[in-house]
Amino acid sequence: MAFSMHTKLYPANHKTVFVLDHTPYFGISCESPIEFEFLKARTPGFIPMTPISKSLWTSSVESAIEYCRIVWDLFPQGKLVRFIASDTVAHILNTWNQTQQNLTHVMNGMSLIGVPPPPPPLRSVNTPLDYTVLHGLRAAIEALSEVTDIQQEKIQSGVDGQKILNRGRVICITSARDNDSMKRLEDIFLSVLTQQNKVSSTESYRLLTIDHCHLVIINTFPINIESQVNNHPPKNLSPILTTEVHSIKAPQIPNKLSSLILDHYDLASTTVTGIPMKEEQNASSSANYDVEIFHASSAHTAILKGNASDSAAIRTIKEGLEYETTTLKWCTPRGVTGTELQNCTATFRITPVDVNSRPSLCLINFLLNGRAVMLEMPRKSGGKITSHLLAAHGGEIFIHTLCTARSVLEDPPSISEGCGGRVTDYRITDFGLLIKQNTLLPIKNKNPEDGVLPIQKIKTRLNRLTRYWPLTISSTLIFNLKQYFDPLPSLITKDRISDDEVFQCKKVIYNLISLESKMEPLHPLNTGLRVKGQKREEQYKAMWNELEMLLKNNLHSENHRSVYTCLLECHKFDFEDDKIAEKVELDEALNQLDNIGPGKPEPGDQQRASVIRATTDSPMSPPPLTTTAPPSSRAAPRSAPGGIYSTQRTLFDIFAQAQNNVKPKMEFVGRLNSEGNVAKLYPNLKGDDRGPREQMEVE
Amino acid sequence: MAFSSLYEEKCPFTRDYNLIKGELKNIDDYDKTCIETALHGVNQMVLSEWGNNTACQIILVTDGSTGVGPMSLKESLATANQRSAKIPFPVPFSFPAKLHIICLTTASDPCFIKSKPLYQRLIDMTGYDGTISVQDTFSNEASVTSMFQKLAEEIYSTFKGTLKCGNLESKIILSPAPVPYTKVTDFDSQTYNLWDVLDVCGFVSVGDVGSPMAISRHLILPATSSSNKTEHVVKNEVDITDDDVMDDSKTPSFCVLLHGALRVENMAALVTVGENWFGFIYSWADSKKKSNLMLTILSPGSDAVPWLGDLNYLGSSDSFSSDQVGSFPVRPTEKRSYSQNGVVWIRQAGLQSDIQKILRHARKLPEKTQQFYKELNRLRKAAISLGFLDLLNGLAYIFEQECMQLPGTAHPDCALQLQHAADVLRKTQNRDIKYVIIPLQTNYTSS
Repeated sequence: MAFSMHTKLYPANHKTVFVLDHTPYFGISCESPIEFEFLKARTPGFIPMTPISKSLWTSSVESAIEYCRIVWDLFPQGKLVRFIASDTVAHILNTWNQTQQNLTHVMNGMSLIGVPPPPPPLRSVNTPLDYTVLHGLRAAIEALSEVTDIQQEKIQSGVDGQKILNRGRVICITSARDNDSMKRLEDIFLSVLTQQNKVSSTESYRLLTIDHCHLVIINTFPINIESQVNNHPPKNLSPILTTEVHSIKAPQIPNKLSSLILDHYDLASTTVTGIPMKEEQNASSSANYDVEIFHASSAHTAILKGNASDSAAIRTIKEGLEYETTTLKWCTPRGVTGTELQNCTATFRITPVDVNSRPSLCLINFLLNGRAVMLEMPRKSGGKITSHLLAAHGGEIFIHTLCTARSVLEDPPSISEGCGGRVTDYRITDFGLLIKQNTLLPIKNKNPEDGVLPIQKIKTRLNRLTRYWPLTISSTLIFNLKQYFDPLPSLITKDRISDDEVFQCKKVIYNLISLESKMEPLHPLNTGLRVKGQKREEQYKAMWNELEMLLKNNLHSENHRSVYTCLLECHKFDFEDDKIAEKVELDEALNQLDNIGPGKPEPGDQQRASVIRATTDSPMSPPPLTTTAPPSSRAAPRSAPGGIYSTQRTLFDIFAQAQNNVKPKMEFVGRLNSEGNVAKLYPNLKGDDRGPREQMEVE
Repeated sequence: MAFSSLYEEKCPFTRDYNLIKGELKNIDDYDKTCIETALHGVNQMVLSEWGNNTACQIILVTDGSTGVGPMSLKESLATANQRSAKIPFPVPFSFPAKLHIICLTTASDPCFIKSKPLYQRLIDMTGYDGTISVQDTFSNEASVTSMFQKLAEEIYSTFKGTLKCGNLESKIILSPAPVPYTKVTDFDSQTYNLWDVLDVCGFVSVGDVGSPMAISRHLILPATSSSNKTEHVVKNEVDITDDDVMDDSKTPSFCVLLHGALRVENMAALVTVGENWFGFIYSWADSKKKSNLMLTILSPGSDAVPWLGDLNYLGSSDSFSSDQVGSFPVRPTEKRSYSQNGVVWIRQAGLQSDIQKILRHARKLPEKTQQFYKELNRLRKAAISLGFLDLLNGLAYIFEQECMQLPGTAHPDCALQLQHAADVLRKTQNRDIKYVIIPLQTNYTSS
């Protein structure tokens, strides 16, 4: 059958109706007794039981149910099947509604209908009841003209009233006397179909005209009967009706439907061969088994169309069946699979053909337990290639078609060879943390009150979390000083922060102030990576600047603002201090705009700073990068005593000053005794004046 | 590839210019123009070399004639819908392909005027926007060359875009360049176009992603982007690094950071690549241990990966209450037949093993009383649904035989329960699936 664009867009398999003959004739036995091996080995006194055989009805029901099992396993949605049993009336077992599209519903309906009624007595006085499959066929045509949910949706969303094509298929399992009665059946079907389309066109608000119907008639009979009905391949009885007839013995219906289903749903069969399995009776030995599965035929496009000789070698027609199966070899998984993304060009659901056989169950359980199986295909040229992967996801088993072809990405460059490839200090661990914090999970509520999709929410969140996010370790200080800043960075990037969290943030700021006041050097966590220009004041200055940047970029709410203000308040104090000191110069004014204006350091600090600098920094240390003002402007303060290393006003300056206001600090004795306000270090090393040493203590 | 009524592969896919040049000198004239034959050959050649998801360009060089009689393009197109499923019409191709037709004739050639609508139909059938090139004036070698040059410029354009994750971003080039994708589903055919911004939505562990179907894969290469970098610094970064003039490999790139972190965490980043269209970015290493950032483009639609659920409904657990957050994999509401323990008796073995299972339990009564009745009821229910009432009588008979065969050491419950089950099975009034056979209360049960 051709698959044109139309058949692809408006497939006949969207709507299928099974019409099952429920007339008294179908109550007869198939005459195909079931053998019970386990009863044979009984003692001689055993009275043989009456042979059990399925009825024509049982055979047709189980075949139709099996057809549905495969369809619904492979296509959980959008491929609808309805059941209609026909005797004196049509019994409709389910609707197009998705809730009625499952085996349990259909099976329950079947049990209510029960076995076909007994044949009417031969000399019945009453007018004989009209037992015929035609009731069912008529109902089937009506069913096809009903709109399914998906069709309804498409009609409503369709642009410019674009018409959808309503195509469907009717599979009728019945029994006709001869070719003539079969021909009559087809003709009646066509006339009913035409009639129904007339009705539909007048009631188009609720019915769809049937643009095409594919009628598949399965004529069946017990095995001891020769049928007078011949097969005929699909023929177009009219532009809107294609019919075909298959005349087969009842036990063969399942096989017939198996080969038809491949056509109807564009499926293919794969036989997984060489599955090692323990013997049922003898657990110590194992034998190799085969399991046949069905799946969409596209899973094989690449391997079957690729190399003709390779594909010919793996395609065989299974004994007793009419279709080809592709044999692929089980490849015992090594180690843990599924931990890497395979280059997979297609995934489709699968279902085993013989769902309850031991080998099938064995393979299924293996997969459902979370293990994956690679399938190999041999190559004519020698060797073999891993062509597919079988794996279960969420209780459903899929076949993944792996890319077996040549890749256009041959010999790609490594990422380290490209832009940014030589940078070695990316904040990978920190980004890893960001990744973990933004791991996606399925959200159950499909109707968010605010109308914002969860995926949009997380994009907004990522935006917020990355407002200030330096890429490398050397471009940041505060993120290397986690022990001082936590939990501030993680709190400040939240969209809302509680008062308590505001307090925690402020505490971090206060703590830093106190650390600075104690002149504690900040120890970056990433030791070995020396941040350049780390004189202590500069370190603090860079830290404050960066903190200001972080906070300024994260003003998501009033509370965020209050944290920022907490920081700024200190800066404001800073400006005033500068004014009092009447040291405001042009560049300083500019700096104030950035809230990082340099101030005149408190004398005691200058003293101590210079002392520390003399001992820790080499004269070759580069100038601090964060010094925003041009050096020339620093000339004046630098020339001032102790002003060489003057820094910008920091929180500490303010803090310290505030403390001084409360309680004036005692001047360093060494300096009091010094010349030019520069204290000699360890004067006792040189001299013998031990007096001042006793008072040399840090306040 | 050269073609007439047959086709011939002149040389394999290669970058060896001289090889191609050499082969082009050896093309002979044959019988007739059969474009369909050539397209079959192209399908075969590309599929065997590149598989079915590598985008290809097919350039058909012809004289503007579409052939005559059977196997002419006109005839081919007219019968395109009547092919068998085994050998379908070669177009649309089994892989994404643009068809470019170069006619070495003039636009005013009457033959070309007749062919043009046929060519266009062929191109339309591919589902991608191919081109037809022809010259306005009589051809000389230079004008033919320029025609090909124009085509080359058109075809080999690179994809330049931006990879974004919140405020972090990096200019990138995708290799090979992605192409728009037409997705055909039941009742719907839609062409999706890529955006030039890949926006990271969040992260999923590689194990959970589980190798979904990809319509294409692309290498993500960070692009040189000095302008972008400065903008970035101005925006939100305090630069405390040296301000030396640096080459690109030393300028930090978000791509490289993302790659490193994804590799360490074994995670993949979900990105939007277009309207309701997603992809995954992850670290990928080929056999040569060269690690790279790879983009896998999923089939368009938020339902591309069944086990991840609706991709539009993925979020961070921090933003939702815990009862709203599920976990991967997302399970379908209904179980598939293979995990339902359903009854299938199409093959006799299926029925036999179901009966044997009941008998095995029967021999271990009363310990297995629960299992015995559970299996019995399952079988009974199925038999009623399938209208297989003979089986119920048959089973009753088997139970009675089993009773008689019981060894003397058997527990008295065995016989009692088997006889009880057989009696109930035979009662026709109980043939309703809602009826459940319950164990006979015996004095021995408790012992």
